[in-house]
Amino acid sequence: MSEPKSRFITTTVEVEGRTEQRVVEMPTFELEPWGEDAQLTHVGARATRVDAGTKATGNPGYTTDLRRQHQAYAAILRSTIARGKVGRIDTTAARAVPGVLDVLLHADAPAKTRLFLQEITYHGQPLAAVCATSQEIAERAVKLIAVEVEKARHSVTVAQATAPDALPVRPGLPNNLLFKEPRVNSRGDVAAGFAAADVIIEREVHTPCVLHTALEPHSAVCEWDGDKLTVWESTQGIFRVRDNMAKALGIPLTNVRVICEAMGGGFGAKNYAAAHTYIAALFSKRLGRPVMCAVDRTGEQVDTGNRPSSVQRIKMGAKKDGTLTAIELVAEVPLGIGGWEGGPGEIYHELYACPNVRTHETFAFVNTAAMAAFRAPGHAEGAVGLEAGMNALAAALEMDGLEFRRHNIATFDQKKNRPYTGNRLAECYDEGARRFGWNEWMRERGNKAGNAARRVKGKPHLRRGVGLSAQIWSTGGGPPSYATVRFNNDGSADVLAGSQDLGTGTRTILAQVAAEALGHELSQVRAIIGDTGATPYAGNSWGSMTVASLTPAVRMAAVDARSALLDAASGLLNAPKDSLETRNGRVHVAGSDRSMAFGEITAKLGNVMIQGQGSRGPNPQDAGIVTTGVQFAEVEVDVTTGVVRVLRIVAVHDAGRIVNPTLAESQLEGGIIQGLGFALFEERILDARMGLPLNVGLHDYKIPTMADIPQIDGIFLDGADTKANHVGARGIAEPAIVPTAPAIAGAVADALGVDVLELPITPWRVLSALKR
Amino acid sequence: MHISLNGRPVDALPAGHVTLLDLLRDELALTGTKRVCDRGACGACTVLVDGRPVYSCLTLANGCDGHELRTIEGLGAPGAPHPLQQAFALEDAAQCGFCTPGQLMAAAALLAKNADPTDDEIVAAMSGNLCRCGTYPKIVRAIRRAASMIRETKSNV
Repeated sequence: MSEPKSRFITTTVEVEGRTEQRVVEMPTFELEPWGEDAQLTHVGARATRVDAGTKATGNPGYTTDLRRQHQAYAAILRSTIARGKVGRIDTTAARAVPGVLDVLLHADAPAKTRLFLQEITYHGQPLAAVCATSQEIAERAVKLIAVEVEKARHSVTVAQATAPDALPVRPGLPNNLLFKEPRVNSRGDVAAGFAAADVIIEREVHTPCVLHTALEPHSAVCEWDGDKLTVWESTQGIFRVRDNMAKALGIPLTNVRVICEAMGGGFGAKNYAAAHTYIAALFSKRLGRPVMCAVDRTGEQVDTGNRPSSVQRIKMGAKKDGTLTAIELVAEVPLGIGGWEGGPGEIYHELYACPNVRTHETFAFVNTAAMAAFRAPGHAEGAVGLEAGMNALAAALEMDGLEFRRHNIATFDQKKNRPYTGNRLAECYDEGARRFGWNEWMRERGNKAGNAARRVKGKPHLRRGVGLSAQIWSTGGGPPSYATVRFNNDGSADVLAGSQDLGTGTRTILAQVAAEALGHELSQVRAIIGDTGATPYAGNSWGSMTVASLTPAVRMAAVDARSALLDAASGLLNAPKDSLETRNGRVHVAGSDRSMAFGEITAKLGNVMIQGQGSRGPNPQDAGIVTTGVQFAEVEVDVTTGVVRVLRIVAVHDAGRIVNPTLAESQLEGGIIQGLGFALFEERILDARMGLPLNVGLHDYKIPTMADIPQIDGIFLDGADTKANHVGARGIAEPAIVPTAPAIAGAVADALGVDVLELPITPWRVLSALKR
Repeated sequence: MHISLNGRPVDALPAGHVTLLDLLRDELALTGTKRVCDRGACGACTVLVDGRPVYSCLTLANGCDGHELRTIEGLGAPGAPHPLQQAFALEDAAQCGFCTPGQLMAAAALLAKNADPTDDEIVAAMSGNLCRCGTYPKIVRAIRRAASMIRETKSNV
């Protein structure tokens, strides 16, 4: 009898001075990476998104479109003050509305749901919920709940929260700072670096608080069958929602099934179960019928996360030849009532080669809704400050911005002192500059006197300018992630994975990778995802991790299934296994014309099932895995109105192997357009005196429209990162947004000949900058 | 009230305050039309009333009495999608897809009156429809492609 090889290795690792035993899972077999020259059929092909057809019918299966039998609807009452206590609540009028089924208050909710806390800590905090036979009745009735509140002094700015007489923004805080003190990260000797500099610049950069604004709101439908709960949730992480629900409700994980068939956007805000999920589950239990709780638009804008604002005070030094000698950042970030240290500082340590870097970040809790990860949290806002500093230094050195950046490329992972698995940023600069015509612009600039190159013939009120920014973001993904690939007895194949499709194309790329490894037709492979009850574990779709984490597991599962299929085919074709090849859904005997379709083989097996298992192996420990890139922007500014129009964006990124260029370009364009909104339009405006967000609808919180879109030329370098994982792919979603706003800000500054240090670059800010 | 909905006669008795959007989604279970802002700011609820694009969240259901309505469910037929639906799929003009029904209906209204729109005309007609995934460049391409598909079909007849 043979023993299966152990999948687990126990190692001792040192974590912050403590030694810890860690169990590491190793794949049961290793795969040769698909190299740069690998001849691949489906991977790298512009396959049509598999659910494009159903999306064009409007009904691919969004949570908010579910209509279960006897489904009821919940609405949430929210606080209109920023700090205080809940007093008496009168629900009589709400309960009297015909169609109202139930009301939930603090006392009705298990403590672990943290629903309807009596201490009010931000405007928008849920205080109660109503359930009714229709959404419209629930929304009408919830407004009839009368709540007495006792107001207290709030702090919604860092200055308020850190003032000597500030009150704790929520109970139990020793002070209002995350980690109780600022986070300081440094390497080298910054003072010595500045002493060695020929040129030193200092700037203060402000970035706004921006809102995810997914068009489908946070929503859940919950339905109990005895003690078993099914949750349909618009989420980026079905398994995490399952975890959250089981813990909050005190039930076993096996009694919770979470489904997300399709979702209308997430962008980082939909990673957990939240108040709406718990409310739907509790009402459903009490009423014995399915309940939907979909957050309304105001709630979505006020209370489901944001990219926090930042103030970045930067000081940077360089030698005359353009070599950076020191970078220093002092930053302040108001997190909201909860959050984590996704601050602007990290990119200062990563993007440019510099031996002496120090970042000092104050993360303050304040009485506004908690922040949430938003597409490249920290890096998107950090890049705005860092690149403003680079522009200022380039100007002080009288160097071309491109040449200056190219001179300071980080050739290794400076934070961990290790190489990268691959980083072709230099090629991105060159290819981007070529496509953009950067050098032609600069030559023209040099040839004509003054600002002639910025002028537009016949339009004296317009100025043109160009800018650029680079980008870096860790995109290695990693374990754990699992996949099963199984053959049906007609030869078609299913891929099962516990991931979800935010609109990125997960379903499509998993099918492409499986079809490739099986040697199958793409139309004969379907990915089944978005159901914890049907699939093995995969992590949240966050951190640009899905492709790099999951596709190696899918490939491995497909290789495993293919191997079993060939075992069966070997007997049927009377040929040794190692002489068999698979192409287009057929097994061929090499060097002969004998072959069998997959379906003929599986038909012979009847209902004997061929299935393969795959898991994601560990990442290399001795190398960093990053996606890098550069974006160039050309803008036109109307100096009489202050309106900025982006004319062109050229984007070139290195993300290893691209599984589907069409889907990758869609995401790249999407990141650029969100970055354009961050640069020019978007800002949650807060009334600091009242603690009140003022622009909570889509009329006054401006996201880009079709009329705002420049010409976008976005590409990924051809290649494969075989050191990162055996598929050779890295992530792309977040890298896309990082350089856009700094490139646009740089272009506006170039057009106007003044510093642009505050986003969004609204007409008012442009006109103010011109007056200075 | 009596309406023609996607070519079929429908009788309904909505209360006076019920919007066309709520009638469609909640009473008639036609959930292809999306509720996003409920304030006429985003275009996700766009449907056609007598061929004209309207925000159904700003339209009272009762006001549609006697009119001809078309929603995403009636844009194509099962197995025979509208050229716009085909073009959106081929050009990857939907990422999360949540704004797509509204985009398609606004585009259908445009192509019905302008068989060969310029990019500027497309932008003018579509600027009332928000897309947070930033799929706009591909939506423009899809509309151009659908327009040429429709023109080719017509010239072949």
